[in-house]
Order: sequence, then structure tokens, then C-alpha cells
Amino acid sequence: MTGGLWTGLRRGGLAPALAMLVVAVALNAWLQPGFFGRASLESNIATFAPTILACVAQAIVVLSGELDLSLGAGVSLINCVLASLPTDAVGGPAGVAAVALALALALGAANGLLVAYAGLPSLVATFATGAVWFGLALAIMPQPGGEVAAALGDLYGTDLAGLPVPLLIVAVAMLGWALLGRHRLGRRLVAVGSSRASAFQAGIPVRRVKLLAYLAAWALVFLSALSISSQTLSGDAQLGQGYTLTSVAAVVIGGISLAGGRGSPWGALAGALVLGIIANIIYFAGIPSIWQEFFKGLVIVAALAFMVLEQRQRRLA
Amino acid sequence: MSLLAARGVTKRFGGVTALDGVELEAQPGRTLGLLGANGSGKSTLSRIIAGELAADAGRVLLDGREVAHASPQEAAARGIVIAHQHPSLAPDLPVWENVFLGAERCTRGGFVDRRESRRAARAILGEFGASLDLEQPAGSLSAAGQQVVEIARALSRKPRLLILDEPTAALTATEVARLFDAVRRLTSAGVGVVFISHRLQEVEEICDDILVLRNGRHVGSWATAGRLDERRILELMTGDPEAALRPPARRTVGEPALRLEGVRAGRVRGVDLEIKRGEIVGLAGLQGQGQEELLETVAGFRRLEGGAIVHRGERVAPGLPLDMIRRGVCLVPNDRHRQGLFVDESVGENLGYVRVCLERRPWRLPLAELRALAEAAIRRLLIKTDGPGQPVATLSGGNQQKVVIGKWLATEVGVLLLSDPTKGVDIHARSEIYATLGDLAARGSAVLVFASDVQELLAHCDRILVMYEGRVVDELAGAAMSEDRVMAAAFGRAA
Repeated sequence: MTGGLWTGLRRGGLAPALAMLVVAVALNAWLQPGFFGRASLESNIATFAPTILACVAQAIVVLSGELDLSLGAGVSLINCVLASLPTDAVGGPAGVAAVALALALALGAANGLLVAYAGLPSLVATFATGAVWFGLALAIMPQPGGEVAAALGDLYGTDLAGLPVPLLIVAVAMLGWALLGRHRLGRRLVAVGSSRASAFQAGIPVRRVKLLAYLAAWALVFLSALSISSQTLSGDAQLGQGYTLTSVAAVVIGGISLAGGRGSPWGALAGALVLGIIANIIYFAGIPSIWQEFFKGLVIVAALAFMVLEQRQRRLA
Repeated sequence: MSLLAARGVTKRFGGVTALDGVELEAQPGRTLGLLGANGSGKSTLSRIIAGELAADAGRVLLDGREVAHASPQEAAARGIVIAHQHPSLAPDLPVWENVFLGAERCTRGGFVDRRESRRAARAILGEFGASLDLEQPAGSLSAAGQQVVEIARALSRKPRLLILDEPTAALTATEVARLFDAVRRLTSAGVGVVFISHRLQEVEEICDDILVLRNGRHVGSWATAGRLDERRILELMTGDPEAALRPPARRTVGEPALRLEGVRAGRVRGVDLEIKRGEIVGLAGLQGQGQEELLETVAGFRRLEGGAIVHRGERVAPGLPLDMIRRGVCLVPNDRHRQGLFVDESVGENLGYVRVCLERRPWRLPLAELRALAEAAIRRLLIKTDGPGQPVATLSGGNQQKVVIGKWLATEVGVLLLSDPTKGVDIHARSEIYATLGDLAARGSAVLVFASDVQELLAHCDRILVMYEGRVVDELAGAAMSEDRVMAAAFGRAA
């Protein structure tokens, strides 16, 4: 219940998300022969990685008892900056990535300062900053275009040590959480989400911890933006729009309490995979493209209902 | 030189002066009892000393040097640690993490040392003889378990000055004895302790010095030498020695108001009882024998799993609390912060919403009527407040509880159910609350009250029913009402 993969499994919060994942994978494999083939797995992980990273980022903020509705716009803004930077002027692809990371941390810090230090409610504050990020992205790139350093795209498509790079990026992100979740800082992050007043009285610097949660999350938003940009190789101010609410849905499906303090980012990973595979299933089931969003919505509602009912069951038990 | 001294500490919340130039001295190796009615400023003073609140004026001296800690972590770094009356636990984290929350035991690099933390937590909890599941989320512990974890955390910080804010309210006698052992060990090692309690017996047992506050002012302090002059303390606390001894209103017992037949719900495993108009009936027994669930079931908070509730001769099946409220069956619930009050609202709004909910067209209710209603309740229950506009959260515990009772005065209370209404309430407010119950009974209400304090029930009830493992195992009335018999039944050894 408190952030770890193992505790999550044992205490039951993760189990329903994993059950859903198994069902989704089974359906997908049935509809799409060759799902377990290397090509299909590689293309799937490359497609899912940006969403997964955004979902895990959201999970960290939610665990700390807040919300971030500007993640998607942040991905767009970082993408537009990546696509409009003259690669040579900033020292090649690594320089581009460094600028993007600095930008992501600055955006995260802005959210964190507004929420933790200025005391604005995160729901509204990040909704507003999200509009600002989107506005900036539009100003940089009114029409889709630009060019992301091709070297990034090549790197994203290759294997390292026999493993696809997108998979490695997700693994690094989860390893990061595994470390943070065992560290004093990570435990305090969960404690603040569980009860802000108690954490304060126990002598935890609550505001600093909340700021840290946003910074950690936006480090992942950076990875998410980098991944999606390496796929599209161009800039688009609308690119990340869907990520925000997808990430909130994944967090809920993953068994993380929106009130904070309860759940694990591993759940968000499972939730993100479920959502991604649902899109696959709908595609391979041959549903006309006009109806795909409609069915996707229905399935998400069903998944959320399943989670909520399961939790209620557990509370009564 | 004293370990810690407060000099002229003043604190205001809005227009209310909570502390007015208070002086306090805590000596190393001694226990100071901090006494006062609810709202006298005990908690505010201790929170200022512990760095949770900033004083508006005055100084805090540690070892004779002025300190101004801006946060609990600064105070803790100087060895000043507080165990709160309402435990400050992270409900989702396991017990062992809560013990070391804010002062984690870490390996190099700041990673939490789980093995060492668990070991140390087990050792500290073991001192209390508490066998808590270390992995259980703290939020699912009983009130006593949470209090033990809160105290364990304070002890684990190796304090130089330990403030215990009403630590015993939720504890059993054995746990209190263990706590006192721990306090004595600390004082013999030179630690200073500030002990806040409403139980004078405990203060007499453990304190070397006492300090009495009234309305935020220092009204007396002296060394106890092992004996307390209760009358003097009461007089200092209330300014009125007779307040606690006001004679009860005369009551006549009338027709049956409520009858339960084989009621089952959760831990309640078949309860039969009857209460009549004009009667105050006490529910006794150890904590967790089903008393809370019984009251909640009658009030419609819980599903009735079996048996029947007969109200004024009519069988009722409560589906919602509102069904019972419309019949005048009202509950003062166990947790006044979460169930009894809208803590973010004002006194007036809290006193008025029952009226609003029962109105068919609430938008037609004149605000003046709601205001008058609130003012009448404030007068009738002697609620100490600036007026209906004051935020209810800024009232003391006893006065908050009066608001919870007062909200029901907006309707015709036929049956008033109360679940441990005097938890964390001082003697003075306690006697005023029971005076109100007597007053309601004299006007024809039936009152059923569960209290964890047997003395209190013996003093105020016409009859006492003792519950054990979900059943009523003994009924006492008149001359048969004795603490011995209640306790025997409470432990399942009914005559």
C-alpha cells in the first residue's frame, strides 16, 4: 500500500490492475496473431513508453497528495522546443536533450512552487500553468513542423545490450522510483500525501517534499517528451494533449488513491499498459475508426468502475 | 536553572486570546502537570513550545538561552518533542514507519534501513507491552494503538523535554502504567516532562509540579509533593468550585421511547433493551464490545443485520440517518471531527444545518431564524464562543462537543444517542454536558449514552447496561450500581 511493488501486491492495491492487464493482453493476443513476436512487442513498447512515463510522473505527484493537469501541455512545450532548437548551436543531440531536461525541471519547479509554497490548490494551479505551457508551445510553433535531431530518432529505434531503447528508458524510470521509494525522501513524499498535517507535526518539511515530488515527476515528463519527440521527429503544440487525463485514468486504474498516500507507481505502469492495449484491441477488433474513441471511453469507464467496486469490497472485508 | 522556560507567551487566534502572558518552567528530571479546562490554552502553549505555532509575544528559553524555533523539526533538533492528543500519524504508512516518521533510521545515502527500523520500533513498542502488527497501516489501528505509536515516536527521538498532550485519554490502565514507567525512566535520566491530562488521579501519581491555566492565563503553580488539593485545582480551573456539583433537574420516567429486539450488526450480536422517556441509560463495557456499532445502527448509520428496532411502538427499518432524524432519533457520534462537525464551518452553520436539512424548502428559511437558533443553542449549552460566526475548529474540544449536541436542539429530540461524548473533554465541560442531558431528559427525551469512563456513568445514569462481546451481559439500577459490578461484567464475569 505504500509504494513498493511487493507491498502493493501483498496488500492488494495492485492486484486488480494486474488482473485487468492479463485480460487485456490475452484479448490483444487473440485478436492480433503475432502479438508476442519481437517486432510487435518492440513497436508496442515504443508506442507506449511516452504514455507510461507521463502516467508514472502523475502517480508520483498524486502520491504526494497533489495533481498535475499540466503534464500534457508540458510534453507539447518540450517537444516544440526540441523541434525548434538548432541542434548544432547547442552542442549536438546531447545538448538538445540537456536543454529539454532543464526546461522540464523549470516547469516542474514552477508548479511545485505555486502549489507547495504559494499554497494554491494543485487542481486549479496546474490547470492554469498547463494553459500557459500550451500557449508558449503555440507561440513557438503555431503550425506543426520543425525538426528534431535525427540522431535522437535513430537512438530511440535501436537496441542496447539486446534490449530496445524505449524499454530501457521505462526501466530507468521505474528503477528511479524503486530507489526513491526506498529513500527517506520518497517515504516522506508518501507520508505527506497520506496526511499533510501529521507529516508537518512529525517534523517533515512538507513544502520542500511537495516541490521534490513535482521535480521528480517532471524528470519523467522530460523522458516522456524526449521519447515521443524521437518518434515523431517534429514539433506539434497539440502533441501531448491527451496525456494529462490519460495519466489520471491510469493512476486510478493502477489503484492509487487520488487523495494521496496510497498506491504505487507500479500501478500507474500497469494502468498505462492497460490503456495502451485497450487502444490496440479496439483497433484490431475492426471497429470503425469513428467509433474507436467511443469504445475506448466505455472500456475506461468499465475499468474505473471495476477498480472502485473492488476497493469498496476490500474495505468491507 | 530550568531546562525550559516560557516567559510572557501570548497568542491570539483572530479575536480570541488563547494565551495571555503565560509563564511556564520545566525542570530537568521533573514532571510538570499542565492543568486547565478545555480551551484554557494548554495545547496552544505546548504547540508553541514544540515549534508548531509561533507566539505573538513572549519568549521561550532553553537552558536559559532564548530560542525561536520556526518549525517542529527545529524544536526536535533541540530535543523538544511532543506527543499529540490527536495522533499525528500518516494513516497509510505501516506502524514501523510511523514510529520513525520525520527521523528515519537510514543507511548511508539516506535509504531507509528497514531491518533496523523494524527492530527498533519493536523494541520501543515492546516497552509498552504493545503487540502491534508492525506492517499494519497506522490508520487501521484502534485509538489506543495510534496513541501508543504516537508516544513511541516521541520517545524514540531521545527528547530532553517531552510534552505529553493528554496521552492517556485513549489508553487502558495497563498501558497508562507502562507509560508512567517510561516517564519515570526518562525523568531519572534527567529529561524534563510536561504532562497534560484531565485525570487528576494520574496527575497526582506522576507529577512533581503543576501549573494551572484558566482562559489562557497562568492562575497558579506549585510543587505537589505527591498530593493534590482537588478542590483548590477545580476552583482555579473554573473560578467556581460549585460548578461541578450543580444538582440535576428532576425527571419523571414515562412511556417507552425505543425498544431493541435481538439487534445484530457487525460486532453487535443480539441486543435487547428498552429505554423510556425521561430516562438516562448508560452503556458500559470495555472499548470495542459493540457499543459504538449499536448506537450507529439505531441511528441508521449502519445496516441492521437482524432483529428489530421499535420506536414508539412502531417497528422501523432505518435505511438512512435521515429516516431516524425525522423520527427524532439523533446520534452524537464517536468522532466529533469527522462525523459530528463540519470542521471548516462556523459555529452558527454547524448549529443550523439540521434545521436546514429537515426543511422542505430550505431556501425559504430566513437567515435571522437560523441565527436565533444558533444563539439560543449557544446560551442553552453555555458554549464558549465569540458568536455564531466563529470557526468551529477554533473552539476547545468540550465546546466543540457542545456544538455537536446543540445541532440536534433544532429538532424535537425524542431519543438522544451519544457515543463517548466526553472523550478529551475537561471535568467542567463534562458536567455541563451531563447537565444538558439531564435537562433534555427532564423535558421528556430518552438518553442512551456510551462512555468509556465508568465513574461518569455511575454519577449520571438511572440505569447502566454493560456490554461484552456484542451482547448486554448485565443491567444495573439504583443501589446495585457499583464500579465493581460494572467492571466484573465488562470482563465477561457477570453475576
